Amino acid sequence: MTLIRQSAVMAAKDLRIEIRGRYALGAVLPFAGTLLIAFGLSLGPGRTLLQETAPGLLWLAVLFASVLSFRRSYESEGEDGALEGLLLAPMDKAAVFLGKAAAVAVQLLALEAVVVLLVAGLFGLSLGGAPAALAAAFLLGTIGLAAVGSLFGVLAESPRAREAVFPLLVLPLATPLLVAGVKATALATTGHGGEAGSWLGLLVAFDAVFLAAGTLVFGHLLED
Amino acid sequence: MTDALLSDRRMDPEPNTPAVLLAGATRVFGVAPALVRVDLRIERGETVLIRGPNGAGKSTLLRLIATALSPTYGSGSVFGFDLVTGRDKIRRRTELLGHRTRLYEDLTGAENLRFACALYGLASDGVGAALEHVGLTGAADERVRAYSQGMRQRVAVARAILRRPELLLLDEPYAGLDEAAKDVVDQAVREAGGEGRTVVLATHDPARGGMAGRTLFMDQGRLLPELVAERREPG
Repeated sequence: MTLIRQSAVMAAKDLRIEIRGRYALGAVLPFAGTLLIAFGLSLGPGRTLLQETAPGLLWLAVLFASVLSFRRSYESEGEDGALEGLLLAPMDKAAVFLGKAAAVAVQLLALEAVVVLLVAGLFGLSLGGAPAALAAAFLLGTIGLAAVGSLFGVLAESPRAREAVFPLLVLPLATPLLVAGVKATALATTGHGGEAGSWLGLLVAFDAVFLAAGTLVFGHLLED
Repeated sequence: MTDALLSDRRMDPEPNTPAVLLAGATRVFGVAPALVRVDLRIERGETVLIRGPNGAGKSTLLRLIATALSPTYGSGSVFGFDLVTGRDKIRRRTELLGHRTRLYEDLTGAENLRFACALYGLASDGVGAALEHVGLTGAADERVRAYSQGMRQRVAVARAILRRPELLLLDEPYAGLDEAAKDVVDQAVREAGGEGRTVVLATHDPARGGMAGRTLFMDQGRLLPELVAERREPG
């Protein structure tokens, strides 16, 4: 079985578990929505300020919500020792990383679609300026975020480590992605999508680094 | 049987090597030794029982043979493949069945088995028959979350039946099971032994001694040499 097929099997399994448990719908989406409303209330009613800060708030909401998604992704592996089953399966362990990253990316993209519409409604964010650049920013940012979270999620195998250590590992590492995503989104939503190229390039580089790192080292992290 | 598995078996370094061979295998967690200088030889086709109190090192020994853990010191091989460098080949031939069943709670029993088949490159058309074999046909499409411990263990046994591993490792497989579920485990052990496959069974349960050709005792991470020689001749 090829790496791609093994990854697809892993991703399909994770998505099936997610659909059954409705974790994104029941916990992650309400969390992101509440966070955005709290941000909005803390900034006050000034429409210009809300519009200016909306790209940053949007990405912060996605970042924090993604931590919940990653936690859930590895929780299902720890419930009955399933992660050891993956370890002992004679498969390329990179498939576990790629499959988990793909499944989380799909969930995050669905979440982002809702959150972007929410921000557009609440904060008056314009989505029509450069939709292709906006879509590229979210697609590339989501791939990078999914790669970082899936790579480091395996380090925080115990529930306690997952609660405490995982955000400390992932959030600082995701800072370049956060900055590039915010800048590209701000440019795309203010009609300057053509100037977002360098930020999108940074996202591409971030994705390439973490996808390559995860594919190469994940097996070593999983092994004893 | 998959092409990969057949190919691996053709590449056995020595077809007559023992199923398990450990030399001074030691495993330390932090500063606490869980397994201390264990020398062990298990021949192909043997059924071996390992007994000992809680914390004796039985689970660590089985997980080391299954390559879930690496030895801190010492060395070992399974079917001639080194425990560290030959891990993938050992994993193709080995199934570890423990009290943790490695199932996904939000998948059904049948879905869990189909996923295992996909991971091991096996056709999944035997899933229904394997579930029938362990008496779970009626619950095949229920989520594992709703299963009792006995039903979960039956699914794990069904996974072992599907895989037909050359070396079956069972770590306290009777824990928390009712008599009917224990019988399912016993049947899997007898079938594996009857087909000439190697079985290593770690359990507290003294009633299971009759199934093994040899009983080993462990305490404080060590195999007790004076009791190793307790052998029963077949028949």
